[in-house]
Amino acid sequence: MSVAIRFEQKQPLEAFVVSYFTAGFLMEELFLAKQVRNPNEPLWLSTLRVSMPLNLSYIPIGLACGILLHAAGFNTLLTAMVSVVIFSGGAQFMIASMLTINAPLLSIVLMLFFLELRYALLGSSLSRYLQGQSHKFIFTFAFSMNDENYAVNYLKFATDKKWDGRQALMVEHYSLLFWSVSNVIGSLVGSALKIDLSVVHFALTALFLYMIVMQIKNRLTLLICVLSAFLAAFFLIITKSTLGLVISTLIASFIGFLLEHHFKTKSPDTRWFWKVRGPGSRKEAVEKSDNN
Amino acid sequence: MNSVNTWTTTQHFWLIIFGFFVAFLPRYIPLLVFTKRKIPDWFNEWMKYVPVSLFTALVVKDVFIDANYHLAPMTHLPELAASLIVIVIAYRTRSMAISVILGLISVFLLAMVI
Repeated sequence: MSVAIRFEQKQPLEAFVVSYFTAGFLMEELFLAKQVRNPNEPLWLSTLRVSMPLNLSYIPIGLACGILLHAAGFNTLLTAMVSVVIFSGGAQFMIASMLTINAPLLSIVLMLFFLELRYALLGSSLSRYLQGQSHKFIFTFAFSMNDENYAVNYLKFATDKKWDGRQALMVEHYSLLFWSVSNVIGSLVGSALKIDLSVVHFALTALFLYMIVMQIKNRLTLLICVLSAFLAAFFLIITKSTLGLVISTLIASFIGFLLEHHFKTKSPDTRWFWKVRGPGSRKEAVEKSDNN
Repeated sequence: MNSVNTWTTTQHFWLIIFGFFVAFLPRYIPLLVFTKRKIPDWFNEWMKYVPVSLFTALVVKDVFIDANYHLAPMTHLPELAASLIVIVIAYRTRSMAISVILGLISVFLLAMVI
């Protein structure tokens, strides 16, 4: 049980997690992150490069999730099963925590439903890039779609014209592989490891923050971002559940659509369409930091 | 997390099966409906604002809201400060990897200080 002794204290492990990320990401950044795809490179490898930052983020979080599920009484086989068929960090963390308070089955499933309802939005917003795909493809794609690989795929679809459904599905499967293997290892090492969840979980928060920054193209998107922040806080507190995420996203994005439509028809030269990146962009960044 | 759950393996199995349906149907149905027919333009225009709104909502939940759904920014001070750092880094570098790694380092260091 040398592992147990070595990881008894929290600090060395956190330092380990951080140095792991440093090594992994620097390697990825120096050698792997090429914006332009080398035509001689096989598709599976170039797609793996795209999904590598996500895959690496999944390892510590997946380990933590496996440990929690083990603590909640899940055996390793069931942990593997839940990580493949539900494949959602948030949902699995919620299952683990609700099991430890002995919540009834029905209330866990209901909470899961509210939590997973937001996937309807992911599917809807990706659908225009997946027009004309076969029924089988849609089924497989929906099966392994979650927040994080959606984030990677949406960004690629929006910025890379050569990005197609096949590569998007590959990203999903890479992230699924890293996630479920980490879950199983976490379940096996069980209580031997102690991970500070709040620190590890921040990897996903940072991933989403990065995605927000990449989404903000003009002042209107910035406005919608700030609006969504207030709406999300409001509805999360009102509904006392993640249903608040769905409601606030629907309202904020709809207001964005209405405002864009209004400006386009009434005053196409409005300042709201001014780019955030470019001249005078530094001021916008400061504004955003203040509001977030 | 030391409290032992009294459920049997069979009950865990059924939880996963039910969980699968509530997780899969919201992923599947909209994707199926909207890829098989012509999507109206206004719907695409609306969905264009979904990612930024949803990611913002997820970040707000992580940073400002506690486990009991109360507004609690003060309990997440390291995350709050690290978020500002990540925003600046993401804006400057445009790199997902650098943003995540520097974000983790800052939240790790800030958690020790604050």
